[in-house]
Amino acid sequence: MGFFDDKQDWLEIVFKNYPPENRRAAVMPLLRKVQQEEGHVSPERVAEIAEILGTTATEVRGVMSFYSYYQAVPTGKYHLQVCATLSCKLAGAEELWDTLRAELGVGPGEVTPDGLFSIQKVECLGSCHTAPVVQVNDEPYLECMNRERLKALLEGLRSGKRLEEIELPGDCGHEVRKEGA
Amino acid sequence: MSEGLIVSGHDPRFERTLYAHVGKPGSHTLDYYLSHGGYEAAKKALTGMTPDEVIEEVKRSGLRGRGGAGFPTGLKWSFMPKDDGQQHYIIMNADESEPGSFKDRYILEDDPHQAIEGMILAGYAIRATKGYIYIRGEYRRAYDRLLAAIEEAYTRGYLGKNLFGSGFDFDLYLHRGAGAYICGEETALMNSLEGLRANPRLKPPFPAQKGLFGKPTTINNVETIASVVHIVARGADWFAQMGYDKSKGMKLYQVSGPAVRPGVYELPMGTTFRELIYDWAGGVKEPIKALIPGGSSTPMLPFNDDTLDTPMDYEHLAEKGSMLGTGGVILIPERACVVDVIWNLVRFYAHESCGKCTPCREGVAGWLVKLLGQIERGKGKPGDIELMEDLLDNIEGKSFCPLADAAVWPVRGALRHFRHEFERHIEAGGCPVEKKGFWG
Repeated sequence: MGFFDDKQDWLEIVFKNYPPENRRAAVMPLLRKVQQEEGHVSPERVAEIAEILGTTATEVRGVMSFYSYYQAVPTGKYHLQVCATLSCKLAGAEELWDTLRAELGVGPGEVTPDGLFSIQKVECLGSCHTAPVVQVNDEPYLECMNRERLKALLEGLRSGKRLEEIELPGDCGHEVRKEGA
Repeated sequence: MSEGLIVSGHDPRFERTLYAHVGKPGSHTLDYYLSHGGYEAAKKALTGMTPDEVIEEVKRSGLRGRGGAGFPTGLKWSFMPKDDGQQHYIIMNADESEPGSFKDRYILEDDPHQAIEGMILAGYAIRATKGYIYIRGEYRRAYDRLLAAIEEAYTRGYLGKNLFGSGFDFDLYLHRGAGAYICGEETALMNSLEGLRANPRLKPPFPAQKGLFGKPTTINNVETIASVVHIVARGADWFAQMGYDKSKGMKLYQVSGPAVRPGVYELPMGTTFRELIYDWAGGVKEPIKALIPGGSSTPMLPFNDDTLDTPMDYEHLAEKGSMLGTGGVILIPERACVVDVIWNLVRFYAHESCGKCTPCREGVAGWLVKLLGQIERGKGKPGDIELMEDLLDNIEGKSFCPLADAAVWPVRGALRHFRHEFERHIEAGGCPVEKKGFWG
């Protein structure tokens, strides 16, 4: 059975976002949907997307390989993305990354034996004032990730809690969203 | 303080608009927005002004693009054809990806209707009945909020057919990116939106002639479009009271790095670094040696009185050999290594190079990042700095799009002010700075 067979209503909504003669503009939302639900985009899904859009698998793969979000190999249930760009680096992103690697015993492209975790270094996430930042799957950012907060995150996820149920200790120590007054 | 230009956030005449509602409970809802004067500007323009009058007002305000390039917005809009019978598109560039920049994010998260109202105004001015918001894929909360706000606006008649009884129709769509900095370049963004690889396009034709789906298109940054709401509501004169000469209006500045209160600060254009860093961001937590003034592509400046007293605007920063960029200030602490800092940024640009043109692919993503890595790791040889400068000359201005220039400028800034650190690496055969202890 195809991934999109039971998602015809969803597809219809997506296609409404683009002119009918430009169906292939929907390639990114289709890739995202697969990535979200299956943790990676397999060659079978690439072929399925190509058929839906009336293009070739090569074209879809070309788009897919351009972006950091879509993964060609399976990821863990929780794909931890660590921002490695300057402001996060200045807040210790490299030490955070090394700690995460050691703690989980995996490198990029690998998944922990229990299937829970995979890790990836990513570029600037646009949260430089709350560095260092970690993003799990495509959920809202986890900010000001010090040692205690990272530990709480991993413990929470390992114990089977959903991301939004996990309380990270402490805070950033300053207002995060404000008008400057 | 009560006369002349407004160039300080302390000026009693200055009032926050873009970020007035950020952080307030419920600010993302339509009811909140309407109870704070929301959609009044759109109503005013659609029922009382012609599209050309809107463009004229924006021109007169002196608004320039807030995405980094600083091109006059009204002039950009006036390039759009009139009465050509084609579908026009307005695109909001919400692919905020320049390291050090996070200002657009909270408009989208906490005040999405401000973004929508700006899109209605911009669409009306350039005669576009369809608009896209291209939002970077990682901005999940902003996406959720925008999606909900767009639905709300449709339900209550602020999007769709015959807005405010004016006969103007406007449809707004959301498109999510998936992690590629190059999509911030306007023609790459259009390719991405069309479902192609996000390589930049050859110009001409310019987007105003042949843009999204081959139709006349204008692309503006989130802050630019949000600014239009307040220009229409309060008038061009109100806007032009703020800032010096050719740098007008309010600006969303950002501070990251070891400041006491890093964050986004809405201030009049022309506010000094000193005021931003010490009065608003609460000062610094440790000794600072340099600052990057406006996002990663802008050349760094030494952290001294001369820099601190510089007004943050297009002209004053150009005089210092740098740029306003996105207004994203990154503080570089004394204990950081400048070579390592610049390597981190060049590595970013190398990673984000799309590979289309040779100067960027071979120059930035090949030679430049390798040379810098070698110097940082202590493998640099005498002559490497000169080799790097020769390389910079052969990249700058010779690439297909500005990404390669954006990689060159920070290196130039570092060499101008901190050349001794590069030399010391080569002489000592390694980086003299301990890399531990940054993580709390």
